[in-house]
Amino acid sequence: MERREMNTDTELQWILDEGKKIHPVSDIVRARSLSRARAAIATTAAASRTSSPTMGRRWLSVGVAASVAFVLGAAAWATVQRLQAPAPVSSIAIPHVDPPASTLDPETPIPPLPEAPPAPPVVKAHPARHSLSPQESYTAETKLLSRAQRAYLAKHFSITLSLVAEHGRKFPNGRLAEEREALRIQALSGAGRTEESRSAAASFARRFPRSVLLPRLGAATP
Amino acid sequence: MGYLRLAHSSSSTPTPESACLAAFDADLDYIFATLHRLGAAHHEVEDLAQEIFVVLLRHWDTLDTSRPLRPYLFGIAFRILSAHRRKRSWEIPCAQIDIESSTTSPENSLQSKQSIAVLRAALEQLPISRRAVVIMHDLDEIPIADIAKNLSITRFGAYARLRKGRMELASAVRRVSRGDH
Repeated sequence: MERREMNTDTELQWILDEGKKIHPVSDIVRARSLSRARAAIATTAAASRTSSPTMGRRWLSVGVAASVAFVLGAAAWATVQRLQAPAPVSSIAIPHVDPPASTLDPETPIPPLPEAPPAPPVVKAHPARHSLSPQESYTAETKLLSRAQRAYLAKHFSITLSLVAEHGRKFPNGRLAEEREALRIQALSGAGRTEESRSAAASFARRFPRSVLLPRLGAATP
Repeated sequence: MGYLRLAHSSSSTPTPESACLAAFDADLDYIFATLHRLGAAHHEVEDLAQEIFVVLLRHWDTLDTSRPLRPYLFGIAFRILSAHRRKRSWEIPCAQIDIESSTTSPENSLQSKQSIAVLRAALEQLPISRRAVVIMHDLDEIPIADIAKNLSITRFGAYARLRKGRMELASAVRRVSRGDH
């Protein structure tokens, strides 16, 4: 009985010791997680720009009102100047009506256009998929690439390559482009297409010089 | 992918966001392991890890980064997973517990994988409140004071959960090993 207890305790301790080990996540999963984290940072930054607290909103309103007043005032001043100015050379008194923006005096500083938000890389990345929200687009990307990864793990390299190519067509600059290219290199290598694999690895290194996947790709393409 | 490069090289001095991302990267293995230990299904882990990152990012400015981050990460993971369970009421049956295939490496012996599977199946049988304390103390080796702080419980409560959780775990391991889970 005592011996049995000791064995159980030893076994439990061994299991706990094994459980303490933390296995590294795969490079693909890591890259995907970091990519999503960066997207979350971008989204948070964009959200903080667009929705500021009450005080900020108040100042924003004041700023917008001031800008509008400034633009209207400048436009009115420019129109008055134009009306008071001598007639054009053609001397035909055709009232000159410009669109409001062009009635500004050239000296008048033009308020800067609102800066394009850098946050939505997803939107930029998928110009052909306007109907998809960034999240939907990302989900579609993930699904497609997961299928490719499963095919790769099953050593169906030609299927992997065709799925990777499909991803490339649908999301040429998608958020998982880095993972896609890495998978393509591994699939090429697995299929024995060493030269193509090396060439793809070289272009990957140029395109993604800081990629966390580079060490693994280096091992995959001797 | 352009934004990825920009995020890397935007400035020489680390911004709070980049520091937070670096911390997340450094402890990503731990986060995934913790979520698995707490009973998250494999297909949920990445999404849950993202939720952890979002919480971490939100609190990064007020975080005492001189202290170890893991207890704090565990606290977030525990709360997020508990909230998910309350919302979805999902309990993972032992038969569905999966070992992450991507972690498979030559050095992971079959025996090791089996023992991890036994441990996860046994942990699943513990209530999540005691499971969290057992994992933090016996697997992550986090001091009881930090456990109490990060799980918002008293030290006495933490010790009580640990004591009871250990007994439950030992019984659960025996049951799982015998195959009558």
